[in-house]
Amino acid sequence: MANTIIWETDVKSALARARTEDKPILLDFFNPG
Amino acid sequence: MDTVTYPNDKVIEFIQKNLIPLRVAFDAQPLSTDFNIKWTPTLIVLDENGKEHHRTVGFLPPEELIPSLLLGIAKSPFNGERFNEALSTLDKIIAEYPKSDSAPEAAYLRGVCKYKSTHKPQPFKEAYEQLQANYSSSEWTKRAYPYRLL
Repeated sequence: MANTIIWETDVKSALARARTEDKPILLDFFNPG
Repeated sequence: MDTVTYPNDKVIEFIQKNLIPLRVAFDAQPLSTDFNIKWTPTLIVLDENGKEHHRTVGFLPPEELIPSLLLGIAKSPFNGERFNEALSTLDKIIAEYPKSDSAPEAAYLRGVCKYKSTHKPQPFKEAYEQLQANYSSSEWTKRAYPYRLL
C-alpha cells in the first residue's frame, strides 16, 4: 500500500476507473494556494 | 487536510481500498460551476455515473473523515433503493465509529432502510430509541422525534 493517496486529476479517467473497479469516487475540491 | 488528515495511514488505506480519489482545484471549470463550489475543502462522493450522493465542506480530522466517507458510500445504494447494501455500510459506521459525527445520521438512515425494506413502522421507533439513548443532542435525534409515537 502506497504511503500517500494517489489522486486522479482527470474526471473521465476517474469515472472509467469507478466503473471498472465498482467503487464510488471521492471528489476533492481543494485550494492549491 | 494535506497536513493532518490525508497523510494519516488509516485514511490512505481506506481511500485507496474503497474509493477512486479525484482531486481538482476549487476553480477548475466546468466542475466548479457544475458542483456549485463556494469553499474549500469541499468533498463529494459520486457514483460511477458521476452523480453526487454526499457532500462535506470544511476540514475533517482522520477519525471523522473515514465515517463520513462511509456515509457517502452508503448513500449511493440508499438513493438507489438497494437498502440491504446500504445497511451493511451504515451498520459498519455505527459499530466501528460510534462516537463520530456521522454515526447519528447513519442510525437515522438505518431506520429508514429497514422501514423501506419491511414497510413496517417499528424500525423507525427503534431508530429513535437508539438515537435518544446514544445521541440525545444530535439533530438526527430531533428529526426522528415524531417516530417515538409509532
